[in-house]
Amino acid sequence: MDISSETIGTITLLKVNSERIDAAAAIQFKDKFRDLIRDGSGNAILDLNQVAFLDSSGLGAVVAARKILGEGRQLELASLSPAVDKVMKLTRMNTVFPIHSSVEEALASHGVAPAA
Amino acid sequence: MSTPNIENRQPGSHEIGVVANPNAVSDALVKLCRDLAVQGTPAELLVPLELVLAEVMNNIVEHAYSDHSTGEIAVEVNLEGPSVRCRLRDQGQAMPGLQLPREKEFNLANIAVEDLPEGGFGWSLIHSLAYDLEYERKDGENRTSFRIDLAS
Repeated sequence: MDISSETIGTITLLKVNSERIDAAAAIQFKDKFRDLIRDGSGNAILDLNQVAFLDSSGLGAVVAARKILGEGRQLELASLSPAVDKVMKLTRMNTVFPIHSSVEEALASHGVAPAA
Repeated sequence: MSTPNIENRQPGSHEIGVVANPNAVSDALVKLCRDLAVQGTPAELLVPLELVLAEVMNNIVEHAYSDHSTGEIAVEVNLEGPSVRCRLRDQGQAMPGLQLPREKEFNLANIAVEDLPEGGFGWSLIHSLAYDLEYERKDGENRTSFRIDLAS
């Protein structure tokens, strides 16, 4: 599980560089996420552009990641593939997570321009 | 290392034996879906097919084989016109009550962050996407079958 991280203002931007968040990768995803958001204080944006496949175990890990952030910090999802979007809608988790069509849009919603 | 043994009998017909662990399931699904895509299976079928297969297979890994150190899942996938017919067999424990779990319903309105469900999505996805979903216990095996079509 490869996740890269960047801090933009108070936002922690996390880019998942793996194609699958599935039963084989769920625990690694959660552990990596926990390490990467530790030092931040604001919302986290999860860039899922590279993720072609998310199953129920992967979704469980994304929900666990949301809980790690706690009530005070939001987890926003950006750039969902059609397969990931389908899972979010079928489970109605699209009502729990703010979803943005792109990272640029997610950052713009916070009044932040993407890093050059 | 577990390499799924894939033998193609005829175009659109695949029979795979997959070692019952999450990595082998993941690798087998990637290969199967790549093969089906090369054979012209549209994404509208592949997306729900991969998802339902993943959910059913991971359920077998986690529950049917929970007390085994090793086990295998036999998967048959057949393209039948505009739909895909799947049959899975495993020699793990039977489903409790000899029936498939029902869809779980979550009330997500105004739910507190710490109360968000982290599991139970699998059977909801399966019931939402699979048609003709059937399960039987026969000759010491679990046999699960379903159909995915363009409306899935």
